Amino acid sequence: MSGSQQRVESISNHFVSSQDQPKAVLHEKNGDQVVITLAVRTPLTKAGKGALKDTPLEDIVTETLKALRNRSNIDPALVEDVCLGNVLHPAASYVARSSVLAAGFPVTTAAYVVSRWCSSGLMSVQAIANQIQVGAIDCGIAIGAESMSTTPDGGAPNFSDKVMKSSEKVRDAAMPMGWTSENVAADFNINREKQDEFAAWSQQKASHAQSEGWTQDEMFSFETTWIDPKTQEQKSIVADRDDGVRSGTTPEVLGKLRAAFPDWAPSTTTGGNASQITDGAAGILLMRRSMAERLGQPILARFIGATAVAIEPRIMGISPTVAIPKLLTKYHLTKDDVDIFEINEAFSSMGVYCLETLGLDRQKLNPRGGAIALGHPLGCTGARQIVTALSELRRTGKKVAVTSMCVGTGMGMAALIISEM
Amino acid sequence: MLEFRTAGFNPYSVKYSPFFDSRLAVASGANFGLVGNGRLFILNLTANGIACEKFFETQDCLFDLAWSEAHENQLLTAGGDGSLKLFDIGVGEFPVAGWQEHQREVFSVHWNLVNKGTFLSSSWDGTVKIWSPEKKESLLTLPVHSCVYSAQFSPHHPDIVTCVSRDSHLRVFDLRSKPSAQNHLTLAIPIHAQPKVAPPGMNRMNGPTECLTHDWNKYRDSVLATAGVDGVIRTFDLRVPSGPVNAMPGHEYAVRKLSWSPHLSDVLLSASYDMTCRVWTDGSNVDKGGEGIGFGRELGRMDRHTEFAMGVDWCLFGAEGWCATCAWDERVLVWDVREHMRGP
Repeated sequence: MSGSQQRVESISNHFVSSQDQPKAVLHEKNGDQVVITLAVRTPLTKAGKGALKDTPLEDIVTETLKALRNRSNIDPALVEDVCLGNVLHPAASYVARSSVLAAGFPVTTAAYVVSRWCSSGLMSVQAIANQIQVGAIDCGIAIGAESMSTTPDGGAPNFSDKVMKSSEKVRDAAMPMGWTSENVAADFNINREKQDEFAAWSQQKASHAQSEGWTQDEMFSFETTWIDPKTQEQKSIVADRDDGVRSGTTPEVLGKLRAAFPDWAPSTTTGGNASQITDGAAGILLMRRSMAERLGQPILARFIGATAVAIEPRIMGISPTVAIPKLLTKYHLTKDDVDIFEINEAFSSMGVYCLETLGLDRQKLNPRGGAIALGHPLGCTGARQIVTALSELRRTGKKVAVTSMCVGTGMGMAALIISEM
Repeated sequence: MLEFRTAGFNPYSVKYSPFFDSRLAVASGANFGLVGNGRLFILNLTANGIACEKFFETQDCLFDLAWSEAHENQLLTAGGDGSLKLFDIGVGEFPVAGWQEHQREVFSVHWNLVNKGTFLSSSWDGTVKIWSPEKKESLLTLPVHSCVYSAQFSPHHPDIVTCVSRDSHLRVFDLRSKPSAQNHLTLAIPIHAQPKVAPPGMNRMNGPTECLTHDWNKYRDSVLATAGVDGVIRTFDLRVPSGPVNAMPGHEYAVRKLSWSPHLSDVLLSASYDMTCRVWTDGSNVDKGGEGIGFGRELGRMDRHTEFAMGVDWCLFGAEGWCATCAWDERVLVWDVREHMRGP
């Protein structure tokens, strides 16, 4: 655009009514903004089988922190706080602080834990970003991590009668997640064919991204211990590959799989059209823009904000259709302003529902596949989606990404990230 | 009312000389400043109306000007090509000095009223720069990271600089502070925050909009006013920096320029894209024994311009109330505010 055209546009912008000062968030930069200077993840590997099956949570978190420290080359003393998003570990607070120290950060780097199920990774990014925004810290690290092999999901505990009998909603909230997927399929008429098509599509996208090498810059590899299930022999192996991606997956192949919940109608959810159970972690280095500029850290993107919603627990999967519009409204944006939507594929049923209800352009949704192909390490996913979205924005030269996920017990979150690469 | 036509050029700014009550300067550009040359007019008020004493041509539009506080014949311009130029009315047709550091259009220039040896500029490139006429390079660059439409030195203190920008913030820099990561920034006040005194009929403040102009009160040393795209004039007291004190809606379109009276501590003048220039009181009534807070209101308006009103300035001398305004209708009007005030 020429200088005179820009002047015309600048003057015409002076006539925009105040309610919808257009898309200011897309362009505005200032020194107080929260920026992402590095985002990496581990390979995502199948729980119980994959390369990380014998790696405890503290090792996964430590390796992620080390990768962030080494790649950013930041003085570790400048990292004031580390937030770990995790769902399943019973002593995650110990893990957080111990991993920070093990990864070579000084005793002055604090650590804590947040948890909101499948959004815990995003919660940790939001928590660190909020601390920076209000001036509590200048620089921090957000980690999302889960070892579903070593700390498996045992389902809801047995609540007291007082609580369980208090309301149907409470019982819905304790429902296994798979049942909520069947509820979504039943309530909104999402048949098995549509779900299998969605799942195969995810696998195909992931497989394409993998074979093209697009995911290489998302990941760091590391050496870890692995026990051979046949010989019980301890081996040292390198985790360097997402192992859930199956090339050549078709709807026809998926159509042959047995229902995972045969007793819960309509029984359309299968092992093939739901997210995989997986181990992995993602880490994000955040700081105030003025600090990044002073340190010469590369600014990948600004983290604009995130928001949470809560809905009926029995159909928790549809919550991105509430969270995403809420988020976009906050920043006066529409879905057309967004280049990439990373929506967690907890189940194909909710994936199909979100795609159709939000009316998304198929090209924009999970361009590298989602949790159906890559897996869904609960606490990791929210941070992993940001890593994936940033890498895809970098590759395509696009700008705006929204990440979102449904959250167990009937919640949802969405976040807005704007690339500066 | 006196009138001067800036034929072929659309004015962006008009300023009275701080040395002579009869001298004015106007910064302008061809084709509404969008593309083409700029022209700096030096005007004299005479018994026979307004006469053009001299003009200077520039390569690009001139968006603002500031009279030197040190030399009666010198004045500074803000250029669309990012340049600052110092002209001397007594010296030929070319500038006597020039500075080129800004990467984009310069939107405002202001001379330090206390320490008369420095001036500043603000630009679309998201910076405010502090300069000395004696030095080729800027003394200091204050990053704002958002298009800065207006920047000023405090008229009360030589080291306090304020600016307003596209991101709806009023920033205060104290040049005496250490140049840390904050780059002398001491306050960044959200202009769109809820005002202390909610005006009648204005229950909710809208979101952030671009702020185009601001001015320091000449009497109360912590008070400023801002205005911009939402047409609302707001006053601020730096002693309560969470948001505006007062909000005065009324203009139908963006307010392009604000100026506090040099004579009365509660009166200010505005120029807007709605083609009117309006006089306001901020309701402080400090002169009349008030406590500095109250509802602001419009006192009167002048609606003789027929295009966007872009510039206003008060005459420092003589009877209170004389001012000059300029607009894209290629006219400069000199008029007495008192003739346009409504009855009480």
